[in-house]
Amino acid sequence: MFLYYLRLSALSYRRNPILSSLMVMAVAIGVGAYMVIFTLNFVMGGDPIPQKSDQLFHVQLDSGNPNTQDDPPKQLTYLDATALIQANSAYRETATSKISGILEPEGDGIRPFSIVGRGAFADFFPMFNTPFLYGDGWDQSADRDLQQVAVLTKELNERLFGGADSTGETVRLHGNNFQIVGVLDDWAPVPKFYDINNGAFDGSEEIFIPWNLIIPLDFPRNGNTNCWKTPEAGPDGFLNSECVWIQYWVELRSGDDEAEYLQFLNNYAAQQKEFGRFPREMNNALFNVEEWLMKEEVLPNETKILSALAAMLLAVCLLNTIGLLLSKFLGKSGEIGVRQALGAHKGSLFLQHVIEAGFIGLLGGILGLAIAAAGLEGVKVLLGDNLMITDWIHLNPTVVAITLVLAVLATIFAGFYPIWRACSINPAIHLKTQ
Amino acid sequence: MLEMKNVRKVFRTDMVETCALDEFSLTVDQGEFVTITGPSGCGKTTFLNIAGLLETHTSGQYLLDGVDVSQLRDYARAKLRNQKIGFIFQSFNLMPDLNLFDNIDVPLRYRGMKSAERKERVDKALDSVGLFARKKHVPAQLSGGQQQRVAIARALVGEPLFLLADEPTGNLDSNTAKGVMALLEEINDSGTTIIMVTHDQSLAEQSKRNIHILDGRISNNTEQTQQKAAAAA
Repeated sequence: MFLYYLRLSALSYRRNPILSSLMVMAVAIGVGAYMVIFTLNFVMGGDPIPQKSDQLFHVQLDSGNPNTQDDPPKQLTYLDATALIQANSAYRETATSKISGILEPEGDGIRPFSIVGRGAFADFFPMFNTPFLYGDGWDQSADRDLQQVAVLTKELNERLFGGADSTGETVRLHGNNFQIVGVLDDWAPVPKFYDINNGAFDGSEEIFIPWNLIIPLDFPRNGNTNCWKTPEAGPDGFLNSECVWIQYWVELRSGDDEAEYLQFLNNYAAQQKEFGRFPREMNNALFNVEEWLMKEEVLPNETKILSALAAMLLAVCLLNTIGLLLSKFLGKSGEIGVRQALGAHKGSLFLQHVIEAGFIGLLGGILGLAIAAAGLEGVKVLLGDNLMITDWIHLNPTVVAITLVLAVLATIFAGFYPIWRACSINPAIHLKTQ
Repeated sequence: MLEMKNVRKVFRTDMVETCALDEFSLTVDQGEFVTITGPSGCGKTTFLNIAGLLETHTSGQYLLDGVDVSQLRDYARAKLRNQKIGFIFQSFNLMPDLNLFDNIDVPLRYRGMKSAERKERVDKALDSVGLFARKKHVPAQLSGGQQQRVAIARALVGEPLFLLADEPTGNLDSNTAKGVMALLEEINDSGTTIIMVTHDQSLAEQSKRNIHILDGRISNNTEQTQQKAAAAA
């Protein structure tokens, strides 16, 4: 009967093309607008590493200003980051920070250019499941022995080596040669959870080098630095200061590990208190990826307001659809009466019209997809280069499926009252007057 | 086959209470051709709607093929309608979007019949009213008389116990009406019971029994001889 009812739905559409098209447009506008906002939220607020977001933890040590009540610093000092690395208390861990430098390609083809990179430890790559096109990340001996190795992104490898396997080659960065050990495949978690302080929707860095090289090779820091106490003069003054500029992530495999590591952090902080540091109440914390994104309110407030507005528009469109469906289905009272006389019970008539409402919803969903696609293109134009997420704003299969399901279910929901009214009418009245 | 005992139907609004049928008792046996006559508003159509299970009665007893329908719920009433009753309406009530085949197919679909059997039955029904060649046409492409023939085929396709016809010739010219009446008589001769509401006294006289309703009650229940009926025809 499903196919029969579907065919009746198509015939019913043909009988009242204007009314039916109005309904389809109402659903399409509501769903299309909603899906534009949903897609933005989906891209900006999704879990960037769903396979292990509950095992990766952002480390927060409260070395902050005792004269303020604000949250603990989001980043770590050099003293603390190096101490945690040396303690080696997590299953995997990395200190990481942004750098910049001038890259000097070999040969005359490409002129030197400035580049944004990242210092990290060997664990960075397996912790964050980075995919490799060629080679792999460096190992821990490279961290220990200050080996000048590097991992390139696919884009940088394309630019420097035309996309060929460049492992074993060298690149000259900030006046030093680095041997390439790996080339990443496409990898750009959105939001960029491992460094939301420096732009949650910025693109990935282009080159990765061992973090231990940043200070010896005097790489310029490229990112947010906060100091609540003026550092003493000279490079060592800064390194020994309370300035925070390093992100710190650990991978822990169980709840017990998490409690144990937090205890380790508290013990470390207590020890530092004895040296006169960590003047505030103990307030160290571990946040897994989703908790961290939520705490930092990665989704801008504007998107929440837009979500509410889009939901309201969808509701208004559905209210219109209810009115139009009521008009359409009450106009079919005669046919409903005849079908009842011929043996249809109310349940089958209800089902027939639920499928008809779903059919209209499906058409509305398809048109809504077109509206959503156009809307997203508009959003990209509006955002311009302000956000790096524009490359990821598109209708992926999940969003397409959600749009169609939302349109069908919303229209069926909107149709319940009109269908109930139409199926409740005494058929005898319409059989005489039709 | 159809037995009503002291059936009463009252329509109530906030202000008015109208008794459309009052102490209405009637028995119709298998193979009868009964006409129902009476002035407008006397309760003819109410009787037909109750007999066709399209409306419930307020009190009394209605046995359809031995089943007391008073307490039946919508699903059971729909099933009985589908299997035991065929309807023919004054304004044909064909579905304008469906072609003739699909119109006649409707009751069989609600019966859950297999496609091959439905096709066989619909083709046979169309053939029996002489419209097989036009099975792909839609109702708007037919004359009034042809549309009523399609409606009759639709009523017959499920092989019901009886046909309920509400002014089946009311929208037809006299010649076409005669043709439709002849078809109904032919159907009755083959054993199908027909209960027909009509305003037309000459048509009523062609039936085997005429029941006259006045103010919701049977005022006259006349068995008509075959000769008289034949003469009227």
